[in-house]
Amino acid sequence: MVDNDTKDVVGQGISRRQFMTGVGGAGVGMVLGGLVVKGFILPDEVLAIPASEGYLLVDTKKCSGCTTCMMACSLVHEGRSDYSLSRIQITQNPMGRFPDDIFMAQCRQCPYPPCVEACPTGANHADAENGNVRTVDPAKCIGCERCIQACPYTPSRMQWNAIDKNAQKCDLCANTPYWDEEGGPGGKQACVEMCPMHAITFTTQTPVQSTDGYEVDLRTGTSWELLGLSA
Amino acid sequence: MGNGYAGKILKVDLTTRQIEEIPTSKYEEWGGGHGMGSAVFWDLCEDKTVTGDDPKNVMTIMGSPVSGTLVPGASGRTEVQAIGLLGYPHPWYTRGNFGGRFSVHLKYAGWDGIAIVGKADAPVWINIVDDKVTLEDATDLMDMDTWKTQELIWDDVRGSQSDWSAVGGSRDGGRSTQLPAVLTCGPKAGTCGPLTALIHDAGNAVGNAGFGGVFYSKNLKAVSVLGTGGVEVADTAGLIETRKWSAAYAWTGNAEDPTPVTGSWQQGASPGQAAGHLGGTVAMGDLRANACAACPRSCKVRSSSGFGNESMCVEALLNLSLDYATNGAPTDATPRVADMSNRYGLNAYQLSAIRDWIKALIKKDVIGPGKQIDTQLPIDKMGSVEFWEALSMAIIDQTDIGPDLSMGLVQAAEKWGRLPEDLADGSLPLAYWGYTHHYDPRTEAEWGWGSILGDRDINEHDFNFTCYWTTSNWALLGVTPPITAERMAEIISKKMGPYSDPMNVDYSDEGIYSEAFAKTVAWHRHYTRFYKQSIGLCDWYWADFVNPYGPDFEGITPEGEQKFLNAVTGGGLSYEDGLEVGRRIWNLDRAIWIMQGRHRDMEVFPEYIYDSVGVKAATPYVMPAFVDGNWIYKDVNDRGIDRDKAEEFKTRFYTLEGWDVETGWPTRSTLEELDLGYVADKLEEIGKLGAA
Repeated sequence: MVDNDTKDVVGQGISRRQFMTGVGGAGVGMVLGGLVVKGFILPDEVLAIPASEGYLLVDTKKCSGCTTCMMACSLVHEGRSDYSLSRIQITQNPMGRFPDDIFMAQCRQCPYPPCVEACPTGANHADAENGNVRTVDPAKCIGCERCIQACPYTPSRMQWNAIDKNAQKCDLCANTPYWDEEGGPGGKQACVEMCPMHAITFTTQTPVQSTDGYEVDLRTGTSWELLGLSA
Repeated sequence: MGNGYAGKILKVDLTTRQIEEIPTSKYEEWGGGHGMGSAVFWDLCEDKTVTGDDPKNVMTIMGSPVSGTLVPGASGRTEVQAIGLLGYPHPWYTRGNFGGRFSVHLKYAGWDGIAIVGKADAPVWINIVDDKVTLEDATDLMDMDTWKTQELIWDDVRGSQSDWSAVGGSRDGGRSTQLPAVLTCGPKAGTCGPLTALIHDAGNAVGNAGFGGVFYSKNLKAVSVLGTGGVEVADTAGLIETRKWSAAYAWTGNAEDPTPVTGSWQQGASPGQAAGHLGGTVAMGDLRANACAACPRSCKVRSSSGFGNESMCVEALLNLSLDYATNGAPTDATPRVADMSNRYGLNAYQLSAIRDWIKALIKKDVIGPGKQIDTQLPIDKMGSVEFWEALSMAIIDQTDIGPDLSMGLVQAAEKWGRLPEDLADGSLPLAYWGYTHHYDPRTEAEWGWGSILGDRDINEHDFNFTCYWTTSNWALLGVTPPITAERMAEIISKKMGPYSDPMNVDYSDEGIYSEAFAKTVAWHRHYTRFYKQSIGLCDWYWADFVNPYGPDFEGITPEGEQKFLNAVTGGGLSYEDGLEVGRRIWNLDRAIWIMQGRHRDMEVFPEYIYDSVGVKAATPYVMPAFVDGNWIYKDVNDRGIDRDKAEEFKTRFYTLEGWDVETGWPTRSTLEELDLGYVADKLEEIGKLGAA
């Protein structure tokens, strides 16, 4: 259960993963000399979308599968604990073998976000007022679900809100009406704040990716090593 | 804004195959969980004197208002109750609970609990997907192990788990990435009822009571639930704040500088504790700490070998000592044996009693081929997977000594002509009602008193972690106690509400029979009946008496219980209010036991507990005690229970509870004080109301 089950190609002669990791061209949002490049012309002449100014990093080996993040996410956004409305999804196989027994599915805030690209109404967009986090304006969402289909990851980081009848996604807690904290790329994220295992963190730096996903180790050099969980 | 409740209880009549809804509001006064389950049982079970395998038996599987919320060490616990199959002389109406995520999905599906009545005319499993409830054919599942059963049901309900799947019939019918939560019995659980458990996921079990056999007796293999909804609480901001406040009392909340203090703690314990029970990385490979829903403690582990997933405590320890004795160190046999008990749905507590009994019988040279207890089991290979596999299959397939053991261990000893001797000398380690000797009534008196005054091995560690494990480890390891016995006693007594007494935890030879100790036992019965078993606060997380991260070692009980519960329900319940609901539940349960035949005369220990001739712990049993005018930590290992003083203690306890001291039956005034006049009427009708 790894994070490399991306869906097919973009349809522009280049895979999503190649695109996002910058293998097939100059990835948008990559760090150049400490400066974050926020938009330029790509090889196939698609106007890029400004990079998100924040990302969630998850250490799947540290996750306990408690799903506190899912309850917290839905609680601060929707006012209810609800797995199906959580914008981070933890899936697990209780009989599986570590580390493949748990999979943390958080939105990557893709440098080139297919969900944004697929939206015919502009509902799914980079929110300039909140650090370009990719988000959905419910008022503009027509429920076509193209964004859900377009997400290259499984499970889709785009989700359908069956109560409000619109698509939604991780906004890094930019809009959390049931939380007193300031969210978004410049603020706090409920999953980061509430995860008891400290298995989720936030960064403003474009994460390093591999074919298996982000390479994140939030254990080494911490008190985690006192627990004797590694041979 | 909600109050944590889903609003309805599911009633499944297996006989008629009718599905009904019961409004939760009818039972909200009981909190949830056990209280609500007992109240539903009282109403739905027409004959409370039937045996556990009678179709008239009613089983309730209950969540609580905090199920599916952020309340730590509570969100994922589910409480189960019915007349059991395990026990001597009677399997009482009893209970058990399990962790994991079943209660979360039950709530998210829109249900506060399930009441199962009757018996199906053919094998079924109950399929709950939100408000859609169906009975599915389980013919091919009945002889299947618990893991395979769950995997097949997962596939049946939602196929591949890796993507969102629509579970309703329309776009807005609900979607989920989650596996259904399944509770199931093991293969052929009807043949070995007293030894059976119910299993959820890899290793969450309702171990005691024989509930696997109750499932099987109803032609019920499993209950599966997948919820795509959610739950609203009364005070969202308050719940989040309380959670953050409580995090400061947890190891994980202090992960930057955990500065471990030696001890066995509730909230203050470090993650992955089960690793030590299972032989650690040597036996299992790399590990992750694994948690029940919303729990920061993460007691359990999952491993790279796939062995020992989610096992802990009793099943994890089932083979560990044998492994050491046989191999000198833990091997993968230890986690594999734990897995075996889970896969076969067998009660690891009873298996551990069988283990110790066989060891004693080998010493007595009465078991083996051609001996008094004639067996072909490889008893010369105890500690091996081969031995446990052979024993398990003998029980499941009813071969060798399996049929005898399956009657219950007291009954087997009777048949083998070994009961008087083996129960008197402790070879057959059954300390309360035929349940396995867990913690010792001679030393941890609240454990013993609570068990014989109740229905089962209480398995409640409120005092045990602090007053036994922590203090004994200090002695064993030569650690200078970071707090004095006097301070420990002070902290605990101040957290006991109206039962507070400076001598609450005086475990001295005299103290365990005292009026103060009767208050301790009463607090324990009432606290656990409500806060743990009805609200679902996990036994390994609550109560939080002494905490290494708390100010001057004070844990968050009782503020924590009150803050969390009221943030969810908005009900304004005080800590003392909760204890009083617990007292009400305790009396309702007692009324059911009395209808089943309970009398004061039955509330006694087996011989070895009184005479102190049984095997004692090999390590110190150090507990706080008030001796010669001073609080000290004292090794209390070398003592038995005094018969006369035990009877005097019972009289004190009955008096404190408002029960007839001659019979142990509640009086009308006590029951009416608890708004249980209808219960008094019933007891009076059968001639079992306590004399005023």
